[in-house]
Amino acid sequence: MDSLVVEDLGKCYLLGRVGEKRQTSTFRERLESGDGEDSDAREFWALREVSFRVQPGTILGIIGANGAGKTTLLKILARVIMPTTGRVVGVGRVVSLLELGAGFDPDLPADENILMNAAMLGIAKHEALRRMPEIFEFAGVERFEGTPLKHYSSGMYLRLAFSVAINMKPQILLADEILAVGDQVFQDKCLQRIEEGARDGLTVLFVSHDMEAIMRVCNRVMWINAGRIVKTGEPEAVVDAYQNAMWSQADASRTERGRRANRFAEVVAIRLVSSNGRDIGGAPISEDVYVKVRLNILKTHCKVRCALDVNTRGQLLFRSSDSKVHALGDPGLYDIFAKIPANLLAESTYTLTVSCIMTRHDEPQEYPLVAYNALTFMAYATEEAAPPVAGRLHKTGLIAPRLEWTLKAVEVDAARA
Amino acid sequence: MLLALRRLFGWEPSAATEEADERDWRQHKWVILPTRLGFFARVEEIWRYRRILWFFAIQRVKDRYEGTTLGPFWLFARPLMPIFISTLVFGRLLNVPSDGVPYFLFYLAGSSCWRIFERSMLWVTQSLEAAKGLIKKVYFPRIIAPIASVAPAVTEFGILFTLLVLVCLWYWIKDGHFYLRVGGGMLVGVVAVILTCIFAVAVGLWTSVLQVRHKDVRYSVRYVNQFWNYATPVIYPMSQVPAKYHFLMYLNPMAPLVEMYKWGMLGIGNFPAKELASALVIISIVFGAGLVFFNRSEAASVDKL
Repeated sequence: MDSLVVEDLGKCYLLGRVGEKRQTSTFRERLESGDGEDSDAREFWALREVSFRVQPGTILGIIGANGAGKTTLLKILARVIMPTTGRVVGVGRVVSLLELGAGFDPDLPADENILMNAAMLGIAKHEALRRMPEIFEFAGVERFEGTPLKHYSSGMYLRLAFSVAINMKPQILLADEILAVGDQVFQDKCLQRIEEGARDGLTVLFVSHDMEAIMRVCNRVMWINAGRIVKTGEPEAVVDAYQNAMWSQADASRTERGRRANRFAEVVAIRLVSSNGRDIGGAPISEDVYVKVRLNILKTHCKVRCALDVNTRGQLLFRSSDSKVHALGDPGLYDIFAKIPANLLAESTYTLTVSCIMTRHDEPQEYPLVAYNALTFMAYATEEAAPPVAGRLHKTGLIAPRLEWTLKAVEVDAARA
Repeated sequence: MLLALRRLFGWEPSAATEEADERDWRQHKWVILPTRLGFFARVEEIWRYRRILWFFAIQRVKDRYEGTTLGPFWLFARPLMPIFISTLVFGRLLNVPSDGVPYFLFYLAGSSCWRIFERSMLWVTQSLEAAKGLIKKVYFPRIIAPIASVAPAVTEFGILFTLLVLVCLWYWIKDGHFYLRVGGGMLVGVVAVILTCIFAVAVGLWTSVLQVRHKDVRYSVRYVNQFWNYATPVIYPMSQVPAKYHFLMYLNPMAPLVEMYKWGMLGIGNFPAKELASALVIISIVFGAGLVFFNRSEAASVDKL
């Protein structure tokens, strides 16, 4: 049985004079607007014709640009706002973590807030008291049990909110950007608990802009744009499609952020290809992959030298430039390849910026070409090289180069000497 | 009795009921529709969320009486001060008749009932705004907020009743006459207080929703209450109301309730049977219509909070 069925859900807001309606409009205004209806209030559908089903144990990632309707959807499911159309049928206890707030009263201390949440979710007081140490321990705020929540830092607040939510043993967990605050260690702890819960039949709806987290925990992903579902399915396929769409949008504004063309050449495309030259969406870590930069050279006697900036998690990981300057004879299309060797990248998302320096003949003048954030891809492990730390959520660094490890027995005499 | 109440609200249930309840929550099939819930679905839902009603009720009482430095002193001093002044003005200077008991006692009894109404109504009016932070983040039947806000009336009644007993004891020592009517009549007084609370919620169902949209409702409520106080036999007995104005007593449910309280506790005046019947009708109408109004404007109010 599905744990959540959403049918034809829609939410319409009236923009403009909400709530004032006709009260303020004068007779003349009404005459001018024609029919006397509140035509100055425009309809805005934050969500429209959204239908989907979720099986128990699913971690459904919801992705989409800002304002796509993700939070509206969660708020309707949490029953904070009422839908305009459609219906939702669900089974079991719903716990929501909306806007990091949960149902907390900032004036009350943590323990009372926990009791209140328990009361709201139909959990008896002694049961809530029994779970309390566990909640504090997971959140790591044991020492602040009696402190009113208004004195908590945002990180502590978030940790407590998540800890309360997951320890209330919900059947459905609605989580909106729970990982926006909080450090990496806690994020991993949260994701691990979500995964554990899912194995026991917990259904999670997880809204995030962190594609890495989405890819890591979700087993289904739904992409929403402008209030409608664009695509639902396997995380990889949907995230790829979403990111491609996002990047094609980013391309539209590239003139502001870089120069992809000058008098002598233009960058036609930047792709990730495998060793046999095929376009690939993600990079298998155990294989060599190539960044292919296609240039359209417009003039004769050009020279080009390229560099690659590799970014991950919002920071520049490294910059690597071609040691050679390539002399190009005739105008036409040229491909420049940069090999990213196998066993260098970690399981993460990387974004590339490509820059080229053009020169002509032996003129000293340099003409740059820059394609900012031209390509984003995920690197993924093909063989499950079991790490010494158990679980899928062992910590990963920004890169994961394969080092050479050797073993050598130490002879006792030699050691003494 | 408190334990029985706690049991009833499921805050400390027995193991068996708890297990059944937990199963019920886990398997409960809920539906979200763009329409409002019907009456019975609403009642069932409030029952499902009864624990939060209990929690809010306790919280509201704590809010009211926690953190005051002078603590118990305030609890008694606050209602007493205006009574002293009124006794001086109306009892001594204007010689308002008081149905054969000392005016101080007369006024204390009348204003007890009135005070419970006035204060409860103010709390209920502010209830939705006070719970704003929660209402915007999590779901519970919103009507629980106004209903729970009337809880401090119980402690308020406790304080005022203790005061009444103490004053009666004082007069007993002073005059040798014990004015308090010990016995079944007191139950009538308690019923009057319960009806007062229900009426406060009934009015509050309207004002709390209006308060969300128009922030000045709270001030108007205070303002109106001042006049309402004079339209209610608190400073004067009902027997002093001229016949041509007596119809006002039928229109104002607080009039028979205050009289009923005084009759129950002190045995003064007459039991206002006809007026009470009229009051019950009015309370039912205000309460019923209030429920409908609250139910209809619930979703819209949340959008405006």
